[in-house]
Amino acid sequence: MSGYAELHCLSNFSFQRGASSAQELFERASHHGYSALAITDECTLAGIVRAWQAAKETGLKLIVGSEMQVESGPRLVLLAENLQGYQILCRIITRARRRAAKGEYRLLREDFAEPLPGLLAIWLPDNQPDAQAGHWLKEIFPERVWLAVELHCGPDDGRRLAHLQTLAAALGIPAVAAGDVHMHARGRRALQDTMTAIRFHCTVAEAGHRLFPNGERHLRSLSALANIYPTELLVETQRIDERCTFDLGQLRYQYPRELVPEGQTPGSWLRQLTEQGMRWRWPLGIEEKVQVQIDKELALIIDKEYESYFLTVHDIVRFAREQAILCQGRGSAANSAVCFALGITEIDPAKSNLLFERFLSRERDEPPDIDVDFEHDRREEVIQYVFQRYGRHRAALTAVASTYRGAGAIRDVAKALGLPPDQVNALADCCGRWSTKLPPPERLREAGSDPDNPMLHRVLTLTGELIGFPRHLSQHPGGFVISEQPLETLVPVENAAMDDRTIIQWDKDDLDLVGLLKVDILALGMLSALRRSFDLIRLHRGRDLTLATIPAEDAPTYEMISRADTVGVFQIESRAQMAMLPRLKPRTFYDLVIEVAIVRPGPIQGDMVHPYLRRRNGEEPVTYPSEALKKVFERTLGVPLFQEQVMELAIVAAGYSADEADQLRRSMAAWKRHGGLEPHQKRLTEGMLERGYTAEFAARIFEQIKGFGSYGFPESHAASFALLTYASCWLKCHEPAAFTCALINSWPMGFYSPDQLLQDARRHRIETLPVDARFSSWDCTLEPGRNGKLAIRLGLRMVRGLREQDAQLIEMARQESAFTDTFDLVGRARLDSRARELLADAGALRGLAGHRHKARWAVAGVRPQLPLFAGQPEQKEAPVALPLPSMGEDLHADYATVGTTMGPHPLSLLRSQLKARLCRSSRELSDIEHGRTISVAGLVTGRQKPGTASGVIFVTLEDEYGMVNVVVWSDLGERQRKELVGAQLMQVDGRLESEKGVIHLIAYRLHDLTPILTGLDVRSRDFK
Amino acid sequence: MRWACILLPQLALDAVLRDRDDPEAPLALIAGTPQRRVLKTMNPAARALGLQPGQSLTAAQAMTRDFVMAEYDPAQIEYWHRFLAAWAYRFSSHVSLDYPRALLIEVESSFNLFGPWELFERRLRDELTALGFRHRIVLAPNPAAARALATIHDGLAVTHREALDKVLGQMPIQHCGLSREIATAFSRMGLRRLQQVLALPRDTIAKRFPKEVLRHLDALVGESAVVLDCYAPPDEFDVRIELNFDVESHQALLFPLRRLTSDLAAFLAGRDSGVQRFTLFLEHREGPDSQIPVGLLSAERDAAMLFELARGRLENVQIPGPTQALRLLARDLPAFVPAYRELFNERPQQSLPWEQLRERLRARLGDGAVHGVHAFADHRPECGWQINAAKAATGLADLPPRPGWLLSKPVPLQEPALRIVAGPERIESGWWDGGDVRRDYYLVQTHRGQLAWAYCPVGEAGPLLLHGWFA
Repeated sequence: MSGYAELHCLSNFSFQRGASSAQELFERASHHGYSALAITDECTLAGIVRAWQAAKETGLKLIVGSEMQVESGPRLVLLAENLQGYQILCRIITRARRRAAKGEYRLLREDFAEPLPGLLAIWLPDNQPDAQAGHWLKEIFPERVWLAVELHCGPDDGRRLAHLQTLAAALGIPAVAAGDVHMHARGRRALQDTMTAIRFHCTVAEAGHRLFPNGERHLRSLSALANIYPTELLVETQRIDERCTFDLGQLRYQYPRELVPEGQTPGSWLRQLTEQGMRWRWPLGIEEKVQVQIDKELALIIDKEYESYFLTVHDIVRFAREQAILCQGRGSAANSAVCFALGITEIDPAKSNLLFERFLSRERDEPPDIDVDFEHDRREEVIQYVFQRYGRHRAALTAVASTYRGAGAIRDVAKALGLPPDQVNALADCCGRWSTKLPPPERLREAGSDPDNPMLHRVLTLTGELIGFPRHLSQHPGGFVISEQPLETLVPVENAAMDDRTIIQWDKDDLDLVGLLKVDILALGMLSALRRSFDLIRLHRGRDLTLATIPAEDAPTYEMISRADTVGVFQIESRAQMAMLPRLKPRTFYDLVIEVAIVRPGPIQGDMVHPYLRRRNGEEPVTYPSEALKKVFERTLGVPLFQEQVMELAIVAAGYSADEADQLRRSMAAWKRHGGLEPHQKRLTEGMLERGYTAEFAARIFEQIKGFGSYGFPESHAASFALLTYASCWLKCHEPAAFTCALINSWPMGFYSPDQLLQDARRHRIETLPVDARFSSWDCTLEPGRNGKLAIRLGLRMVRGLREQDAQLIEMARQESAFTDTFDLVGRARLDSRARELLADAGALRGLAGHRHKARWAVAGVRPQLPLFAGQPEQKEAPVALPLPSMGEDLHADYATVGTTMGPHPLSLLRSQLKARLCRSSRELSDIEHGRTISVAGLVTGRQKPGTASGVIFVTLEDEYGMVNVVVWSDLGERQRKELVGAQLMQVDGRLESEKGVIHLIAYRLHDLTPILTGLDVRSRDFK
Repeated sequence: MRWACILLPQLALDAVLRDRDDPEAPLALIAGTPQRRVLKTMNPAARALGLQPGQSLTAAQAMTRDFVMAEYDPAQIEYWHRFLAAWAYRFSSHVSLDYPRALLIEVESSFNLFGPWELFERRLRDELTALGFRHRIVLAPNPAAARALATIHDGLAVTHREALDKVLGQMPIQHCGLSREIATAFSRMGLRRLQQVLALPRDTIAKRFPKEVLRHLDALVGESAVVLDCYAPPDEFDVRIELNFDVESHQALLFPLRRLTSDLAAFLAGRDSGVQRFTLFLEHREGPDSQIPVGLLSAERDAAMLFELARGRLENVQIPGPTQALRLLARDLPAFVPAYRELFNERPQQSLPWEQLRERLRARLGDGAVHGVHAFADHRPECGWQINAAKAATGLADLPPRPGWLLSKPVPLQEPALRIVAGPERIESGWWDGGDVRRDYYLVQTHRGQLAWAYCPVGEAGPLLLHGWFA
């Protein structure tokens, strides 16, 4: 029997066509004893790295290729014979993709006009083959073109075979057997049909002849193939297989060279830039210790040949600094002294006890990874700079292969099977939005579906198969690949959904495998807020602060943090973080690093939080399983908190090599999806037992590693985040007005609404002034207040619906001279009726026209002036008596128009009514003893159902003094769903839990008090 | 003039509820895109569960599942609105549908017939209640005021200007029939009741608001008249011929039938429509009328054809007793699309046009015996064509050869000396409706030269099953 190489096979990266993953295809092909398998996804190489990986794992050869349809031309498969052919294939795909919309391609005959050495072509003839196409292909691919004979038990295969053989002979090109494979096994027929229906946006029943008539397009056994094809056609596959010698491992990637001036090497230039940076960072001279560290780091970087990577990141950061865009690096290599000198990070190595080697080791062959966060509003400038500097052909964003998750998969499948929309929605609701699992049968029954019904059974089976499949390529938020050669010689480039964006067809994991380095250019709202804070402080205080020059280790700041007085600051403002702060009481920067990392699903699920707290508070002795591990865990009191510690643990306690530890890290990130931790369990346990650790300890460590799995937080990231946390806390503590003002101007960001931020500011005795067309700019500003401190003047941006350009017109007109009345304002700022009414309703004309009613009356009366009468004062009309708005009306209007009120908090207006209902205020709670049963009432500002706490719902209530955290257990939530979901103003009766300054109310009963509050504009964060 | 406004506050809901056995059970009407289904309205029982209009279906179902859903259908609302207008037309020739969800009826001229307003109103209410529609009724001197007052009043009857001014003045501004933006603008100025607005100097209103505002205010107080479109009852054909003597034979009915059908044809021609369905009523001296429904496959209006059809149906009916009158009622009058004819149509004299033949066959053999056949895209041969398929066929180009005669049930092929011409053609399809087939089809030739299409299930070597013959 002859050998066989399958030369036409789609994986699931031919979206909604291929019904098997590369892994499945390679396993099956290897099982059948194929000599090679080509993956020829339609005009894409997005799945080729995964295929390469599968090929390596199964030991079966991969041939790289792609199927494509030429416009008004033939359909064909192109295979890469060698590296040159691969590069040309990338170029052809890039061209076809770049001239079409996202997700589509247009391949033209002219794309074949130039020589295409190294590419083999297999013509896929249709039912009535056009001999012209054969002649054309033969001309382009002399001696390199074949005619594919693909037989799938059609109406008359014998005739088809004879016909094609005749045609091949007539054209003088060899015929070859191929499979048009869409799935690894026949069993995927139903899934393949379903994907076809999804692709055509119809049901399977409607898909009709767009479905394949049978399931023959799978990897057939060699004996089956021998029955179908004449031997010479099978032998021909071997000839092609032998010719294709290209392997992805031959790709060589080079860093851009232009960053290094003539006469310098990357190493010498990096050293020179670092030395310049050292003089800038340490103008008074450098400590011996730091100098030693920098030398050590430089030696390591040069040894590993990562200079260009650091130079690239430095160049981007230098641009941002020149444009006064705030940025901060993080990641395994970012927190080094070199990066501090280069300005990539603001963490001063002299002031922290972080060690660079922890992040980049000589033994580990792990590429450096630096993510740089930029100001949210200005990141686009940085992205455009990168495109401009390296050109679109050398810089592109990485892709993200979006995969099917539970809800999306069940939705698509149920639709394709023709379920009615309401049932489709109901089924999708049964899956968590991000869950990658099928909904359990109980959940389906609860929702009124019967999992034993045959239709639903089909839906669930197919959904299970579809989950995890890629569904489309989208753009990574900021991962850039930059290369010396044009990118299209490495990987095809295609259009992203956004204009002016191009992405490569590989995602982050693919890049790692192929050895391409990427720089993450990310956006962070807090950086915008910090830069705005610095600007305001410079303007009003004359003090020039930067992230690096904010006074370090400031005691009042840590005191504030320990009180959980952290509304608005970075990372530690959430409810869970706030509950942790009074227990952890951070006193140093490293405490903040821990704080940032500890309130995460990983440590929570791995049960690391409580042991750490007990040890920190001296309630439990700090012990280490061994002296060797003391070094690893000393800084976290013996409790593993960081991803890096798990890797060190594997090395120290279980004898892993640095490389193996890195593999463990990767498996940890992926095991939820693919499994694959089992080998590590064995290896770790054995390694630990060998080194004298107990089995019980090994088991516990493994559980912790699993808990870390998808959420493990690296220390290197925590450190960078902690710096921003510290900076924002310092600002909140020492410059609260500027900080609040900057936060609101950077909104939307963070956890709290402008209203909540302003309330918090007022509780800190900061004066807030209303929006006023006479004084307000677009942004919120600071002005001297009555108490001698700076007050916050609300900006016109707070007026809902007002356009920025209207605000600019007002500011410009006001600079000429102050407004005398409404008529003057409307006339000089040329405001249309919409803008006028918004200003009047927002109360922004109080100084020009009086209260809201008068203002609305006044602006309605301003008619556009005829040019003839320009400059004439307005005609007088008889004054009209309009009623004064009541306090309630003003409150209502405040919330409806600016989303906050300068008047009393709504709850203070209701306080007497609430007192009558025996409700306590949030201010009173700290004086009530633990365990008492009490009632509180407040606006519902949050309802959260965290994945880590089963069935519990956290409700946040707000009153005029602050917030109250309510815990609603699932059975109560079930019983009082209507109140829980529906109430805007809620009264909760429950038991007070008060411990070390952390206060919760465990709810017994909920009351909906919304009727006494109707009309207030409250935005609730509902279950997300 | 006196105008009654009948406001139908839950027309959509009533239209659904009147068909339900248990109108007290929680019910919500749903609208919106498939991605975002929203509760449009609901009955009090559903409201008591916490459901609210505007809520998303997901949110509602998160709260409770103990309610019934029905589609919110604007066409149904329109239908019942007109239905009620037809009902109201009995009370006044001046009925208007100009206001959504409301009927405006000029009633003063009907007082002679239906008695004073109190009696008249009671009768309206009784009948509406019997029909199953919630309502509010207000009487006012002009339609604009009647409509506005009905929003918050029920049973109010205002007949004099002074009384009208007083009750109008108290109206909240957002319920006065002004557009939402205008009403909002007034209320943002602190003007919450109509009297505050009416008290403003006219020039200040004219300066601030579009002309329509003053016009509407004038209409409300009766300073200017509102012109409403009059409702006209629907077009239908309903003609009855009383026979001069009792008729017992079919034959004697044919003459009046021919007149009725030709009148119908003339009527249809006059309004340029066709008829798809009509009913013949035979009125007997005793017992109920005999009803003979006549349906067509497409809208037609040819007199001869209509007669032919009606005759065919009539002749199949056993007439229970002497007939005194014949009535033809046609309501379904869709637009007529004439058949395309060749300019020089050389039709043999004896032959019938196809449509006529088809309808005659239908009439003679029964509806079940004649039907259309449509090709349908499905790989399973038995699903490849459908009877009376409503939808047009999809993508049927490039079909592999299929037999013209497909057996309704495959039978074992007991033919000796078969020759396989082509195959196997494998068909594996249909898993989605539980009718998955997996077959290998062969084109075989019998020793008599007939071409047959036969299969055996995939993986089985059993005897071939005959599925069809090629012509």
